[in-house]
Amino acid sequence: MEIAVIGSDEFALGFRLAGVRHVFVADKDNYQEKMQEAMSNADIGVLAVNADDLQYLSQNYKAKILDSIQPVVVPVGGGESDLREKVKKVIGVDLYKTEDE
Amino acid sequence: MAAHDITPTRSVLLELKKKIKLSQSGYKIMKMKRDGLIIEFFEVLEKARAMRAGVASDFQAAMKKITIARAVDGEIAVRSAAYALQNYPTVKLSSKSIMGMMVPKVEAESIHTSIVNKGYGVIETSAYIEDAAAAFEKLLETLVRAAEVETTMKKLLDEIERTKRRVNALEFKIIPELKDSERFVKFRLEEMERENTTRLKHLKKKGAAAE
Repeated sequence: MEIAVIGSDEFALGFRLAGVRHVFVADKDNYQEKMQEAMSNADIGVLAVNADDLQYLSQNYKAKILDSIQPVVVPVGGGESDLREKVKKVIGVDLYKTEDE
Repeated sequence: MAAHDITPTRSVLLELKKKIKLSQSGYKIMKMKRDGLIIEFFEVLEKARAMRAGVASDFQAAMKKITIARAVDGEIAVRSAAYALQNYPTVKLSSKSIMGMMVPKVEAESIHTSIVNKGYGVIETSAYIEDAAAAFEKLLETLVRAAEVETTMKKLLDEIERTKRRVNALEFKIIPELKDSERFVKFRLEEMERENTTRLKHLKKKGAAAE
């Protein structure tokens, strides 16, 4: 299986340089469409996305892709807010909180 | 099922006792599963936090290096190097079981490509492009490891949530309702027995008066 990347041209260029050939260049308007295309490709095992771009997706679809196992969607950049929120909801305590916060 | 909607018979009472016993043993097992999952979760949490920090720092370093490469060599040189690549990274997806729950196992197969197999000439490209490519390869490696750990954590969290809901339902809804029903059936049976005894005594008295 292969690694794929979805995001702006600038974001994807570096991954192209590392050899990733499944590159989905998407902007605000066609992000969800491109994401659906990437998610339906059975050759993709890991999908790297820019964490900031996830705001272009609907809440339901975002939750669905972040829970996906094949491909596994890994947000790059941004914080760990989604996982942090989930931990807080399930365990009841913010385990990501550091001493500085 | 409301406690008063059931037929107060001995067979129903036996059935209820059986259900209570089963629910209580199920509750104990579920509680143990929940505790086991939480222990497992804490082990994965530390890894996930470290991995997330690794992804963030690798991403920053890689973006910095590609920006330098674009500034020094120009957009076209970086793009032509990127499009000239012939080897592509692959991963192997399999699954493993944690307390009966299947989680994905992601292994990187070939991420690093040696400079001679890249597909572009070593002389034509600068060291900055090579640096940027190496930084993105490192980021991909961290991403693959993060993918496995984060997905395991998500699945563990889902399972903990499901198990917690089941434990709470058994503890606060199912078992108390079954116990209420059992109490109701017991009281009704005792009441019926008392009614029978009174009826028999009454008949006996009537029979004695007739003789």
